[in-house]
Amino acid sequence: MDISVTLFGGLRHFLPAGSSFNKCNISAADGASLEALLQQIPIPANKPYIVILNDEKVSRENYAEITIQEKDEVVLLPPIKGG
Amino acid sequence: MAWQQQILRVNLSNGSCAIEPLNMEWAEAFLGSRGLGSKYLFEEMDPAADALSAENKIIFATGPLTGTMASTGGRYTVITKGALTGAIACSNSGGKFGGELKMAGYDLLIIEGESEKPVYLHIEDEKVEICDASEIWGKTVWETEELLAKKYQDPLMRFAGIGQAGETLCRYACVVNDKHRAAGRSGVGAVMGSKKIKTIAVRGTKGVRNKDPKAFYKIVNEVNARMTDRDEMSRDGTLAMMDVTNGFGSLPTRNNRSVRFEGANKLNPEAMHTPNENGHTNIVTNGACFGCTIGCGRICKIDPTHFSVKDRPEYHGASGGLEYETAYALGSACGVDDIDAATFAGFICNEYGMDPISLGGSIAAAMELFDIGAIDESTTGGIKLEFGSAEALCQIAELAGKGEGFGVDIAMGSKRLCEKYGHPDLSMTVKGQEFAAYDGRSMQGMGLAYATSNRGACHLRADPYGHDFETTEIEGKAEVVRDSQRDVAFLDSSGLCLFPGGCGWGLEDYRSLVDAACESDWSSDERMRETGERIWVLEKLFNLRAGLGKKDDTLPKRILEEPADVGTGKGLVCRLDEMLPEYYELCGWDAEGVPTSETLQRLGLD
Repeated sequence: MDISVTLFGGLRHFLPAGSSFNKCNISAADGASLEALLQQIPIPANKPYIVILNDEKVSRENYAEITIQEKDEVVLLPPIKGG
Repeated sequence: MAWQQQILRVNLSNGSCAIEPLNMEWAEAFLGSRGLGSKYLFEEMDPAADALSAENKIIFATGPLTGTMASTGGRYTVITKGALTGAIACSNSGGKFGGELKMAGYDLLIIEGESEKPVYLHIEDEKVEICDASEIWGKTVWETEELLAKKYQDPLMRFAGIGQAGETLCRYACVVNDKHRAAGRSGVGAVMGSKKIKTIAVRGTKGVRNKDPKAFYKIVNEVNARMTDRDEMSRDGTLAMMDVTNGFGSLPTRNNRSVRFEGANKLNPEAMHTPNENGHTNIVTNGACFGCTIGCGRICKIDPTHFSVKDRPEYHGASGGLEYETAYALGSACGVDDIDAATFAGFICNEYGMDPISLGGSIAAAMELFDIGAIDESTTGGIKLEFGSAEALCQIAELAGKGEGFGVDIAMGSKRLCEKYGHPDLSMTVKGQEFAAYDGRSMQGMGLAYATSNRGACHLRADPYGHDFETTEIEGKAEVVRDSQRDVAFLDSSGLCLFPGGCGWGLEDYRSLVDAACESDWSSDERMRETGERIWVLEKLFNLRAGLGKKDDTLPKRILEEPADVGTGKGLVCRLDEMLPEYYELCGWDAEGVPTSETLQRLGLD
């Protein structure tokens, strides 16, 4: 299944080639975890980000436990400030 | 020595101008800019005086790093009693005016009294004169700058002044410098207007010295090398935040009825960079203030076929465009998703001299009053003031800037507006100042920061962002807000901008620059924290003497009682009543929010 992933701010520079401005679809096997999905996006380890899954923020310690479902929407946000 | 060790005092009542030595004992205790200006204001005026009376003073303060080669070293602060809030106002701006004032030889410019007739101030180093402003009174900020630039024929002369909004005492009139940078918040421009001083024209040739130029140069290069994350700020500016808050669910929408805006993708960086159906692209380039190596400013053009500027070629040029706060206030807060309309309203703010955050917040409140039937077209002069109406936004912005029609009510600010029409709970303000672009329900720390901010609701008096995006639980929020209020007060007082902190710098980088530039030892974290806390508590003392107290450290009923509708904070209200007592205790204040005698003694404020 394909999962829609949106990367905001500077994170969009790490989208796979051929993606739109800040979105891409990432293939995930049935039963794949959120962690496995995120590992397919080449964001460097020193770039922190926040994960929103279907409007809910997900804590880092839960990435491995959450199973991705068809039609899930994943949003990655950089923790920027100010403005 | 990074301070010029001189202040310029101008008395508009008797027409005197005097150069005085800077109180160096105060400079060592309050550093500069926001801190040092606040100390002078606190010592020299009665905080209970009317903000628009001759008793109020208005201080333009540079920091020890203003005018140096340190990146972003162009900041200055306007300190006065705020016309919007009745609280201390410390409104910070970039551009090139601050550096020029410092190079003219002054750490502070103190303006007191009031003039009978409109005047402006002309400063060229020691030459200072109060000049007749009859030819520029009634002109816009842009017209004023062009007329005086033509008169003095000096391309390096810089200006900071007011437009018609300041003259007509719009409660959130701002001081605009370099045409589109502004000391925006709390109504500092109305204080200038009440004193009948139109603008300050300054040219300086003295340069700025520091303790050890070679060592300073080395530190500047070292910390610049650590500013590794600035590309995004250069490309997208602060507008990058819009997608973050909208995705998170903390973008105030339609007067905080919602925390997510369906039109955010029409106001975000992608919209700004993408050609519209006419092939017009909103952004032209980015812009930088004095000495800045980031360049977060947006220089934009409105589509010349857009209804707001059609047949008005004077608005077809490039000028200061939407920052995140402007895009929120003139966009999502009003339910408007038209980037050209929001850009136009932003141009009007710069041209007439208004704070776009407070203008947008006031229009949003008026739109809700219109929506519930508390006002109608007979009140608004025939304008259908509906949420989402780009036409109404543009019309009302111009009326408020000129002080005409229903714009007079909008110029009161949302607190006075909502009280006038019988719905004070609809004003999204703290201490009378409109919210910035974050909702205190999904960002609980920001809620506490708004409530306790000494200048009214503000997103730049604390730094709870990282903690808020990490968790909506309130554990630890009070400490984060207390600590960062102290840190920000120090940074604001240095003469540098806060944004390097989002581009790779740590607190130690600011501290090392201050230490390298200033004479005494500023190398310890302890002195940095204590100085920041001393400034914060001094501002608090000013407010207490002005009559503000615990009752004012609060949030609108909507944020405290109506749960957020969507997003990460869905179902939450701000738990301010649980965080505030802990915050007071951590600050060393009593249960009423008054600093204890031990705290005052520790900070040398007793």
